[in-house]
Amino acid sequence: MAQQLNSINLVAPAFKGINTEDSPLAQDPSFAEVADNAVIDRRGRIAARKGLSVTTTNKTQLGSGKVRGIKEFINDAGTTKIFSVGNNKILSGTTTLADETPGGYSISADNWKMVNFNDSVYFFQRGLQPLIYNTVASGSSGGANSSVVTLSSVNSAAGLTSAKYGNEVLAAYGRLWTADFSTDKSTIYWSDLLSGHIWTGGSSGSLDISQVWPDGYDEIVALAAHNNHLIIFGKRSIVVYSGATAPASMTLADTVSGVGCVDRDTVQYTGTDVIFLSQTGLKSFGRTIQEKSMPISNLSSTITKDIIALLSSETEFFRSVYYPEENFYLLTFTGHNTTFCFDIRGTLENGAYRATRWTGTGFTAYERKDNGTLLIGGLHGLGSYAGYLDNSETYRFRYTSPELTFGDTTKLKFLKKLRPVIVGGSGANIFLKWAYDFKSKSGTSDITLATQAKAFFNESEFNIGQFSKGEFVTTGLDVNANGSGGSVSIDLQADINGEELSLQEINVLATVGRTI
Amino acid sequence: MSILEDLLGIGGTAAGLALAAKGYEDVGDIGREAFERMSTGFTDDSGQFTPGLAGMLEERFEFQPYTVTTATGGQFGMTQDPETGQMTYDIQTSPEEQNLQEEQLRRAESFFNLAETDTTQREQDIYNRMRAAQAPEEERQRLALEQRLANQGRLGVRTSMFGGTPEQLALAQAQEEAKNRAMLSALEFAGQEQQRQAQLGTGMLAAGYVPQAQLLSGLQPGITAAEQRRQALAQQAGAFGETYATGLEALLQSALGQANIAGGVGGSIATQSLGGLFS
Repeated sequence: MAQQLNSINLVAPAFKGINTEDSPLAQDPSFAEVADNAVIDRRGRIAARKGLSVTTTNKTQLGSGKVRGIKEFINDAGTTKIFSVGNNKILSGTTTLADETPGGYSISADNWKMVNFNDSVYFFQRGLQPLIYNTVASGSSGGANSSVVTLSSVNSAAGLTSAKYGNEVLAAYGRLWTADFSTDKSTIYWSDLLSGHIWTGGSSGSLDISQVWPDGYDEIVALAAHNNHLIIFGKRSIVVYSGATAPASMTLADTVSGVGCVDRDTVQYTGTDVIFLSQTGLKSFGRTIQEKSMPISNLSSTITKDIIALLSSETEFFRSVYYPEENFYLLTFTGHNTTFCFDIRGTLENGAYRATRWTGTGFTAYERKDNGTLLIGGLHGLGSYAGYLDNSETYRFRYTSPELTFGDTTKLKFLKKLRPVIVGGSGANIFLKWAYDFKSKSGTSDITLATQAKAFFNESEFNIGQFSKGEFVTTGLDVNANGSGGSVSIDLQADINGEELSLQEINVLATVGRTI
Repeated sequence: MSILEDLLGIGGTAAGLALAAKGYEDVGDIGREAFERMSTGFTDDSGQFTPGLAGMLEERFEFQPYTVTTATGGQFGMTQDPETGQMTYDIQTSPEEQNLQEEQLRRAESFFNLAETDTTQREQDIYNRMRAAQAPEEERQRLALEQRLANQGRLGVRTSMFGGTPEQLALAQAQEEAKNRAMLSALEFAGQEQQRQAQLGTGMLAAGYVPQAQLLSGLQPGITAAEQRRQALAQQAGAFGETYATGLEALLQSALGQANIAGGVGGSIATQSLGGLFS
């Protein structure tokens, strides 16, 4: 006797991102088991991320190294200069990378922190004398320098001893703040007001918080400034000082024990919040009205174990960026060549951001330019987050649903048809895979999307461009499926080859059989 | 005229002359006796010696030693060496007053010694005592600040502007100002103390002479009484001398009268006798 086909319409599948924390059988189909090289697009669909449009054409100075840090320098005159670090050099430029390393200055690592401050850009790294680039002819940053120079060599520089060669630097409240030294992990130094090259005299000073750590001992990892607070991140705790505009009299406002920061380069400001990576996942300080306390929320609770597994075995650097133009925060484990993308437009019911994963990107540094461009560093030098190719090469978008039971885990399901609705992806090859019972058995099929013109007419009407790039929806795709099992998962993969692609929905048609 | 008459005239002339000569000699004796009775003394015919008035007056006017004793036992005495005639004036306070005087002088010396001492060490001692008095409160303030800074997580603050925190600087400034005030107060106090010691020494010194002064004050009535007595004796001696001289004068006048009589009689006899011879 013919069975009635049951239809499960997975509308906007995975728009809640990856969830590897909850039981796969009880999961909402809005989550994904896998969402690689994906983002949540502007309409809340899972979509392929953009690619890397490489700008650099001459990376001789970079050699076989990778860009490990990028900083856009802007001064009051509007002059901009892109600095990057890699191959144990200070580099500048985007198309041709020029060596800006001061003569005779030896660099042994590329873990620089660069900050703009008072018409200068400062370079800090543990154990190395800080560097400065300044185009201002006179002023409080020691006068103009046509190239990057050591900070102690500028005019009026004072007090910059090797004990102050910190790994973390923060430009906030009219000063530079530095911490995380080779042998001193509990002291913060701050410079004289508006003078990042003066570290003694004036209103400079230091704060030893070795007696303040809530757990007795910790080590400073990162600093952040938020709402007149100085946030000091330890490895396992956080200390917050209020009144940091007057550091000599700033007072302890709050302490958080048990939660710290993994790396200084995971700290990002979103305007209303501070996001950072802790040992247990991505966290944020929520801003309260009266700022009397700072509750911490877990922003990666859907992928906590994935993050912990990566951070505990990371051998290189952590890199992150907040990119409001695309509403995401990227967290990259460069040693694992894995990036998590957190959509920050909203949180799920459990307070987590929607997360997707980018794999195999080779991204090793980020910088959001003032014009809204996201610069990305890597083996190829510098590029921007644009287009849908990674340095002219395709990359694979993948979505895997959680285990679907059609509402009854005790019945056999027989998949009959899969009908994906795909937005964009002109000419792309789509690989559909269905698997039963936690992938113990599976079947695959592939389809090729039709090539679509980008513009309706591709011509201007009355010399006015009325139509630009269109959004094409591919419907009516029927993929016959077979096999049976108690639960089903759907996997969709596509090689992104210059065209954007979003997954609007997947209509799954199945019959329900006997009780297992 | 007969021979007898002649003889009688000659004899009378000779007796008159002899009598006149005797009157003349008596006048001399009387003068000598008057002198001796007034000065060195007179020995009469029976060999009894009568001291002269001058000698008697000398004895009567001779200094009479005396001693004045005050109510507190102090004494003032005037004596004369009988051999040399040198006068000796003794002022003798009582043993208690003497002891008091010695004690006061010793104390005065002590205060003067203190006043003379260099004040540097005393200033330091005073400063130390003031600081010792201030130290507990300063320590309480320091602990309170330390606690407050610890609560504020600011124990580790080091600044180029303040050294530590502004509060620590303020406390340190306050403590240093207190030290400065203590130092200046110590200087001032030590100077005042030195002045006070000098004044005390002066007072003690003056007090040490109070028994003597009081003794001298107490002697005045005694001296006055002795002087009055001496004047009374002088008056008595004067009266005695005058009386004695008057007696002598009367005696001498009497003797002179007798001598004059004898001399007048003798002269008359002689004159008459001579007149008979040559008549």
